[in-house]
Amino acid sequence: MAKKKANNHLLLHTALISFTLLSMYPVFWVLALAFSGQQSVGIIDLPMDPTLMERARAIVPIPEHFSVANFVGVWTEQSFGTWLWNSAVVSLMTTVLGVFLACTAAYAFSRFRFPGRNAGMLTFLVSQMFPGTLMLIPLFIIIVKWLGLGNTYFGLVIVYATTAIPFCVWMLKGYFDTIPVDIEESARIDGASPQTIFFRIILPLATPAIAITALFSFMTAWNEFILASIFMEAESNYTAPVGLRFFVGGFSSQWGYFAAGSVIVSLPVVLLFLYLQKYLISGLTAGSVK
Amino acid sequence: MKSLVTGLLTSLALSMGMLSTAAQAEQLNVWHAYRGGEKAAFEKVVKMYEAKQAGKGVTVNTLAIPYDAYADKISAAVPRGKGPDVFIYAQDRLGGWVESGKTVEPIDFFIDKPTREQFRPGMVEAMTYKGSVFGLPINYKSTTLIYNKALVKAPPKTTTELVKLAKQLTQKDSGRYGLAYWYTNFYFHSALMNAFGGKVFDASGKMVLNSKESIAAINQMIKWYKKDGIMPPEPSEALVASLFNEGKAAMVFNGPWFIGEISPKIDFGLAMLPIVDEAGKKPMRPWLTIEGAYVSAASKQKELAYDFAKFLASEEAGLVLALEGRQLHTNKRIYTDKRVIGDRILKAFHDQLSNAEPMPNRAEMTMVWSPATTAMNKITKGSSTPEAAIKEASATIQDSINALRKAR
Amino acid sequence: MSPFRWLASSYVLGLGVAVGITLALSAWLFEGAERDQRVQYERRLAQVEANSLAGALASAAPERIAGVLQAWQARHPAHESAILVGGMELLGSTKPEDAAPRRLGREEKPIFDLANLLRAARETNIGEGVVRKKLVNFDGSVKGAYVVTVPYLANNEFAGVLQVRIRQVADKRSAPSSLGGVPLWLPALLVAVALGALFRARSDLRLDLPRLLLFAAFLALTLAYQYQRMAAYDASDLDGARQVANAVREAVLSYGLPPEGAAAPSPWDTDTYLRPLGVVLGDGTLNESAHGALFAEKTRFFERSLWAAEVLGLVMLLAFLFGYMRRLGATLREHADAYAYVTPAMLGMLVLVFFPFLYGITLAFTDTTLFNESLPFAERWIGWDNFVTILGDFNLYERGPEGLIWNYQNFYWTLMVTIVWTLTNVAIGVSLGFILALILNTEDLKGKAIYRVILILPWAIPNYITALVWRGMFHPQFGVINQVLQMFGMAPVAWFDGVVSSFLTGLTTNGWLSFPFMMVVILGALQSIPKDMYEAAEVEGATRWQRLRHITLPLLRPTLIPAIVLSVVWTFNMFNIIFLVSGGEPAGANEILITKAYKIAFENYQYAYAAAYSTVIFVILLVYGVFQTRVTKATESF
Repeated sequence: MAKKKANNHLLLHTALISFTLLSMYPVFWVLALAFSGQQSVGIIDLPMDPTLMERARAIVPIPEHFSVANFVGVWTEQSFGTWLWNSAVVSLMTTVLGVFLACTAAYAFSRFRFPGRNAGMLTFLVSQMFPGTLMLIPLFIIIVKWLGLGNTYFGLVIVYATTAIPFCVWMLKGYFDTIPVDIEESARIDGASPQTIFFRIILPLATPAIAITALFSFMTAWNEFILASIFMEAESNYTAPVGLRFFVGGFSSQWGYFAAGSVIVSLPVVLLFLYLQKYLISGLTAGSVK
Repeated sequence: MKSLVTGLLTSLALSMGMLSTAAQAEQLNVWHAYRGGEKAAFEKVVKMYEAKQAGKGVTVNTLAIPYDAYADKISAAVPRGKGPDVFIYAQDRLGGWVESGKTVEPIDFFIDKPTREQFRPGMVEAMTYKGSVFGLPINYKSTTLIYNKALVKAPPKTTTELVKLAKQLTQKDSGRYGLAYWYTNFYFHSALMNAFGGKVFDASGKMVLNSKESIAAINQMIKWYKKDGIMPPEPSEALVASLFNEGKAAMVFNGPWFIGEISPKIDFGLAMLPIVDEAGKKPMRPWLTIEGAYVSAASKQKELAYDFAKFLASEEAGLVLALEGRQLHTNKRIYTDKRVIGDRILKAFHDQLSNAEPMPNRAEMTMVWSPATTAMNKITKGSSTPEAAIKEASATIQDSINALRKAR
Repeated sequence: MSPFRWLASSYVLGLGVAVGITLALSAWLFEGAERDQRVQYERRLAQVEANSLAGALASAAPERIAGVLQAWQARHPAHESAILVGGMELLGSTKPEDAAPRRLGREEKPIFDLANLLRAARETNIGEGVVRKKLVNFDGSVKGAYVVTVPYLANNEFAGVLQVRIRQVADKRSAPSSLGGVPLWLPALLVAVALGALFRARSDLRLDLPRLLLFAAFLALTLAYQYQRMAAYDASDLDGARQVANAVREAVLSYGLPPEGAAAPSPWDTDTYLRPLGVVLGDGTLNESAHGALFAEKTRFFERSLWAAEVLGLVMLLAFLFGYMRRLGATLREHADAYAYVTPAMLGMLVLVFFPFLYGITLAFTDTTLFNESLPFAERWIGWDNFVTILGDFNLYERGPEGLIWNYQNFYWTLMVTIVWTLTNVAIGVSLGFILALILNTEDLKGKAIYRVILILPWAIPNYITALVWRGMFHPQFGVINQVLQMFGMAPVAWFDGVVSSFLTGLTTNGWLSFPFMMVVILGALQSIPKDMYEAAEVEGATRWQRLRHITLPLLRPTLIPAIVLSVVWTFNMFNIIFLVSGGEPAGANEILITKAYKIAFENYQYAYAAAYSTVIFVILLVYGVFQTRVTKATESF
């Protein structure tokens, strides 16, 4: 029995490793470009009448010369550190605001039966349906002209949060639905107030879901470029994606810098995910059911 | 709960709104899309201006904006009374901004004769739309011939020489080519089209792309690609750069922006684009992209804004922008300076200017790129003849133009 | 009986609110329309003055300019001032302190620029053979006067501009809507309240006599009010037209008949494009039928708005009569908790999402382009035309010598591509994500955490660069994929040349980008399935497949379905990948609706048409969303 299990895992590992390598391949190209010290997107370098080995070497994404020049360039040429900090602040504020608003709304959608519930759910979904290309001018009018939130973190945060909320609401509602109602009812019989039930029982049980929605909210804010560059009126207030875009577009493109910057920018996301992983282990199995 | 949230929102909105309204009377806000050396030189020029205006206490705030968001940012902010006093942008958007209104301020009234005459030919024309001048030209860009000195001893003067040399240097199997440029991109193709006398718009603004001349220019390009086989398939900016940097493209047609992308391993030279023997010995004439400093229509201090723009276009600023920012400044007086004319890169593009013409600044030009590129792709892939493809593209463009020029 | 109980038990509130709303709305509409009407006629009068004066100046010798201007100013006390500008010169002015002729001063830049603007406008209209630029400028920023600028022609060539300033007639507020000093709406409202008080409210849903009576009362009161004000509006319109005719007649007295003659439409009574309106003839007689036609056209939108006010009132009345309002109030109180939880998120949505929606959808009903953006909204309104053009174009293919040639620019082709794109992408994303999540959920698999982190990388790295790397990998000669094909002895593929192969490039890239998201979502969902359920099933001898089929899938449903619905919506509007990888190649065949809308807006500058495209996308997705949630009951738990 034990032996059979180990075998299965060997199979799984082989499958996983090959898939991981395959899916990492484009990432390796980005890394190769970032560490090449050069600016142009690498292409296959083949001699005359290439042998199979030479062909194989050509498709392995390893730079000819290893250099951290691109990273140094990205970090020193512009105030990238400040921009990363701005991004972090904006993204974390977005995450907190988005997840909090979404939790309350999703809880209501999951636990209460009230008129307008279906319409409300649909409203959140609908908000994702209108193509964003034409939203730029109206959003500018609201945030900058009416609310006077141009050049502030908060202006970006509320836009990003409202962008992320629909997803969070729908996902959280789905997760809340899977939490048995009996738990709440027994708590209610024990005399717990609705607030206690929500904060002390439901939220802890939904940690995997909250972790995922938090990651999503964070990503929404973390990678956004166009609104951040339009709302901000001082370079010291730019976010990291805005800073990254300086390297490309227009006539010349420093893809090496862009790749290095992209690697830097994706690191916090990976770290955040690493941190959130532990919450992906269910609150349910660890908690009340058993 | 609701009231708490809204209260929080308003108080935050208030406190942050206050922070953002810092602008005062003697402050000029300037937007640009520079980075790196260009940005440093630009900021130096700004400091020079502030020093000159020290008595009046003028401060200039600059804001760099990524190119991909720049036009959107201007179109969102300026017509709504926000945004900078001066912004720097190429002439390609000018026509659109003038037509839509409330964006750029006409400056005919300010511009005096010496200022108008200090520019190199073609520059003020690029800033002129329907008889009014809207900006002061600051710098220009065009393509020219850039070659790998290790492969090309003497750059070709004519297309016949070019083809002969390029054929020797082409080895398709190992991906080596004599010539590489983004020939399916209409911008890069324009140099050939202009050599044959093809045009996109005539003087009155009529679209005249479908002409014998344009087709002859495309046939010339097809000959290079198919018959002579001296150019790579599916070109792009990235591909051209990679090929040149790996020594796999001996010659490229590219602009000053490309210089920064050339790998230090490559010893490159610059020369004028060749004379096209097939076009009756007319030279290739690339399009000029000219960046101008525009006074915003929303500016509260237009005279001061113009004064700053004028300084950017002056000889004093021009020298810094050219020597330190590596820009091709529009002021003709800087090209008498030994440091400028002794610089082989600045000189090469300065030479090319005698065979170049400003790209149209009409808004309708934006409608040309995509259908023209589709046509070029179809032609290079052989799925359509030049005549048919250009006719089709021309019809598509005309439809879009008609939709815009609709009678009220 | 307490007043509240009384209010609730009779129809006072219902009829009162309904009549009140309709009356208030109508009054507001009439106020606006009357103000517009006044401004319109005063502007038209000013324009007659400017046009006729410009005509007189056109035929006057330079030395007589001052005389003509002064005579004009002396003719009427409302004629404040006039200046004539040509190039940098002030050619003439009614103000002696101007000391014309002279060069323009620094502060006179606006009039110089205005002259250039009108010159360019005239050249544009003539050059393009299309009248699209306004030739008359009204300065709206001046209070208490109309400042109108018209081109000044000499020998039929543009020679400058004439700017006249005409004092605004004192705003004598006529009160057409009052009965002996009492505003008309007051008695109407009183009658409504009194009538409502006569009947006792019932909560059944029958259409009984009292309710019928109340309907009739509502219609009678509101329609009478509207009719009365409309009559006044109509009369003052005719009055305005008569004044314009008078002005033309006066101008004829001063300057003689215009060259077009007495019977032709007066060239002085024009719109802002200097096209004669045809309502007033050359000698100043009013063509009443032409005026009537113009009036009907002008007020069409206004009349429809009045009907809308009527409908709104009726809806309110219905809501009250059949007790819906009372039930609404009760519901709000009953479910106060639920609404409190939902409100904060909903509020943000309303402000930041639905205002832009409204903006976009309204834009879709205009013909806004880059070239006419600055025109007033009413002049750009065209109704359903954009939608008719988009949906009514069935030119999907043509028969060529080699069989069918698809028209890739057609809406339905793009729609088909978009649907195929969405279905395939979501299928790939969900199945890959599902398989990986199942594997990574294996209980004692070592290194799970490492795999999980590595596998989210495609999602974590900005897709701008990874899309570009993918595009590079598909290059026919230098791309990795063709190199691998060649290593295995296969022929290279020109990926972006074929419709299907080009589609595959986008599909591969997007599949790669989207599986990590699905994987993470499903991983989270798998965590919430209690392990004892599996253990119990295993004890009962259920196979692995049975466990998957009967435990995992049903329990994943509540989270999987929303994730699928959302990813359908996102993929449908997935702009970046198409734009960056295949760019819609070949020849726009692989464009999806959103990239098409983008091109229409930002390459062709047809903003309204693009907005209509976006609205169509929105409606398609909305129908899908409603359908999907109905079928799967996605909003219902269990």
